[in-house]
Order: sequence, then C-alpha cells, then structure tokens
Amino acid sequence: MSEFEDDISRAMAGHDDEAPRAADLLRALEQASPPRRHLGWYVPFMAAAAVAAVVAGSAWAGGLLGGHKPVRTSGGAIPVQRLLSCPASYAHQAPWVPAKPAGIDGRSRLVPQITPSSALLCAYRGRNTARQQAGWALSGQRPLAGGLASLAGQLTWKPHSPRQPIACTAVGGPQTNYLIGLAYPGGARIWVAATNEPNECVAASNGEFTSSGIIGPAVSTAFASGRWPARAPVSCNRSYQDAGRLGQGTAMVPAGSTSVTICAPNARTRTLTSGYQALVSALNRLPTRPSTHSCSGTPGPSGAYQVFFSYPQGPPILVSILVGCHPAVDNNGLQATSASSVMPVIHHLLNRR
Amino acid sequence: MHLDDVVTELVEHCGDRLLRVAYQLTHDAAAAQDLVQEALLRVYQSVRHRGLAPEDWYAYLRRAVINEYVRTRRLRSSTEIVTDAVPERPAAGCLEDRAADQAELWAALAALSERQRAVLVLRYYEDLADHEIGALLGCREATVRSLASRGLAAMRPLVAAASAEEEQT
Repeated sequence: MSEFEDDISRAMAGHDDEAPRAADLLRALEQASPPRRHLGWYVPFMAAAAVAAVVAGSAWAGGLLGGHKPVRTSGGAIPVQRLLSCPASYAHQAPWVPAKPAGIDGRSRLVPQITPSSALLCAYRGRNTARQQAGWALSGQRPLAGGLASLAGQLTWKPHSPRQPIACTAVGGPQTNYLIGLAYPGGARIWVAATNEPNECVAASNGEFTSSGIIGPAVSTAFASGRWPARAPVSCNRSYQDAGRLGQGTAMVPAGSTSVTICAPNARTRTLTSGYQALVSALNRLPTRPSTHSCSGTPGPSGAYQVFFSYPQGPPILVSILVGCHPAVDNNGLQATSASSVMPVIHHLLNRR
Repeated sequence: MHLDDVVTELVEHCGDRLLRVAYQLTHDAAAAQDLVQEALLRVYQSVRHRGLAPEDWYAYLRRAVINEYVRTRRLRSSTEIVTDAVPERPAAGCLEDRAADQAELWAALAALSERQRAVLVLRYYEDLADHEIGALLGCREATVRSLASRGLAAMRPLVAAASAEEEQT
C-alpha cells in the first residue's frame, strides 16, 4: 500500500468518532414504533406494512414493529392518515400552514430534534408572477419513504428569520408551495411550509417559528424521489449550498464547529479540522448588526471569500466576506462592516503548512 | 420493548460497525442513520428467515448497507444536478512522498462517485480484498480495481491543489 493509500486509511479512521451510535439508532427506531398499550384491531404484518408504506410513507413505522407478529393498527394511537392529510388548497400567500404544531414545541425550532415516524409532502404549483397568490390547488402529494432522520437533522437546525426586511431579487418564474406534514409517536404533528421559487426568498415556517433557511430545493428533490436527500458535503465548486443554521443571528460563528472550509479567489481552497480557532475568535469579535443580505460596492481592491464552518449535526454556517463591499462580512444572520481584522487570519490559514 | 426483537438484536450486535461504515460512505451522521435503518428494513426479515448465525450478520447487513447506498444515490442522482465533478488539475510533484492533510483527503473522498467511494471505503476502511469487494458489489474484481484506480486518480488533483497552494507561499 502506498503512502497516499495509508493516508486515506488514516483519514477515514480519524472520522470514526463522528459516526452515530447504535444507541442513537435504537432510540430512533423506538420513536418510530407506536406503543403497545392494549389489544386492538390486529392485521397480519405484511398488510400492516403495506398500509403504513402507502398511506403514511413511513415504511419504517410499519416495517419493524412486531415483525412476523400481528401489529395493532388502531386503538390507542391516532392513525397516521388522519394526522396527515393534504389540504385541497394552499389557503394564503406563502408561507402558510394549515395548523400550528400540535403536541410538540414549535416555537424554538422549525421541527423538533427527533426523527418523525412519517412524513407527507403536499405540492401546490403556480407562478410567483400570478395575480392570485392564495388558494392554489393541490397539484400533488407524496409520502416520504426514507431519509426521515436526515430531514429532522437538517430542518431542526434551520435558522430563525431576521426581524428586519431582507433584500431579495425579483425574478419571475414557476413557484411551488410545499407543505411538509410530520407525524410523531403519540400523535404529535407539525406542518412546515417551504417554497421553491427562483429568488429563494420565501421563508419556511411551522406557524410559530419562521426560518430564512432555504428548504425548497431539498423538498423538490424529496418530492421527486420519495426520500429526503442527504445533505451534500461542503464544496467550493457547487453554486447552491445548504448553509445557515440556528444561532447565526447571535454569533457570526456559533459554537461547536468541527471544521472550516475556506473558498478563496483563484480557486484556492483549504479545509481544516483543527487550528482555526483564531478565525472563529476574529469573526466573533467583529461588531455586528442584523443582516440585510446585501452590501454596496466601494472603491479599491475586491475579492470574494466563502468560509464554511461545519458541525457534527446539521448544515454549516457560511460566512461570506466580500472585500470591497460594505458591509463586508455576512453570515445571513449578522453583518459586520470591515473584514480587515479577519483577512490576515484567513491568509495565514490558507498558507499554513 | 416495542421493536421487533430481531431488529433490536441486530442493532445491538453490529449497529455501531454498520453506522461507522455508513458514515464513511455518506459523511453525514443523519444520512448514515437513515442508510442503516433502510438497509435493516430491507433485509431483517431475511436474516430471520435464513436463520443466519450471529457471526454472519455483520457481513450480510454490510452488503445491504452498501447496496442501499449505491441504490439510493443512483435514485437521487437522477433528480439532482451533478456538481461533484472533480476538476482535472495537473498534479504537483509526487504525492506519494508527502503525508496528505487528512481533512483534504476527507473532502476529496466526498467528491467521488458513489461506487468509487464504496470501493475505497471497503478497501481502506473495511480492509477487504478486491475479490471480496467484487462479490459484495456484484461486479468483477477488475471492475473493483478500475473503480479504485479512478477514485484515487480523482482524489490526487484535489490534494495536489492544496499542496501547490502551500508551495506558492
């Protein structure tokens, strides 16, 4: 084996600790299992699995419960199909949800940190240029058959919307308003409104928590495949990045990051898993104000840097640094006027051996 | 206990190992958990019906995880724009002579195709021989060698680029 191959082995082994544990998996499975409280209406396993897969889209909920033993499909728990049913029309302008979170906290996060037992997607297609932005008819629905932990892991970290208005482009085009219905063991449920439109500027909301996070593209992918997509790793070569997380409105770099990827001009990139605390400190020391998602060009040298801070769970934080723009530093939650104290640290990390 | 006893036993017996392999494939903790869940769902009945011995569970489930990974990634790739193309840049110097930065290598692994990554994970993480990988993926040993070779070749320019940047300064 060459030294390069040895390095690959070491790099793989170095990430062992980041993998989830069997205990996490068992907990998730338990959450997806309804309690066996008392005798009810029993059907054979395969029929129960088929019903669960077709109606609720959660093969998991129906597949692992009881195995070959009979499975209760009614009785103590509310049937999933009664909890999740797509409204015939999208009643108001996006974002809109048909009901506020029930049996679960919807104020502190867009969705809870636990894996739902089933998920249903409802689509309402229209155009953002249409005079009528409310009352769009249901154009399709699809239960999700997989990726529910990914869904929870991504949506639970979506950032809070800023209070002040943000700048948006005004590109006309097709718009799909989605409702994501999530059901949890014990009958709790939550609806999340997410929109896919050209400007990526319509907030997501559960009726109590509104997020500026961009969810629409992921929902469209999930709607097409029936599975919530895994989050793509950070890449300097990709135009769309699923970045932004809870806490970005209070700190430029929220605590807990485990790596940084710097995308610099002229295709210079650097990923570091240690030794970048000085950059975190420099960014978090900047005087900040709520972000407007915009800046104005200033005379002098310019340059665009994207700095991604990744975390063990959920999306990364993206700190954009536009040298020659005012304000120069923006993480979509906060802005800072000058990057002069940060750029030396970035250059040091880019050049570090 | 509400879970099927077989599932519980499978997770307790080899869940940690499966999740570590799944994490190597997906580079994402939630996606790794989903991957193992879905693989378990597909095959746990078979484990029961075949009466597999506990020492055979891991290999059987690992195959299910790998197949699920390749299968779902293929499904997903049909609906997503592929943007993980590895830029072809000239390699700077002999990479074999330097200890590559692990973070750069990890990032480069993430840029590989699903089959290339599966082969490299099975070869360098699971320490399987090429003929074992071929049997697991359902392809010939020569195909495994080709996938591994292309995967390594795709990673080298990425690591080389980082190396070249360091040398410029």
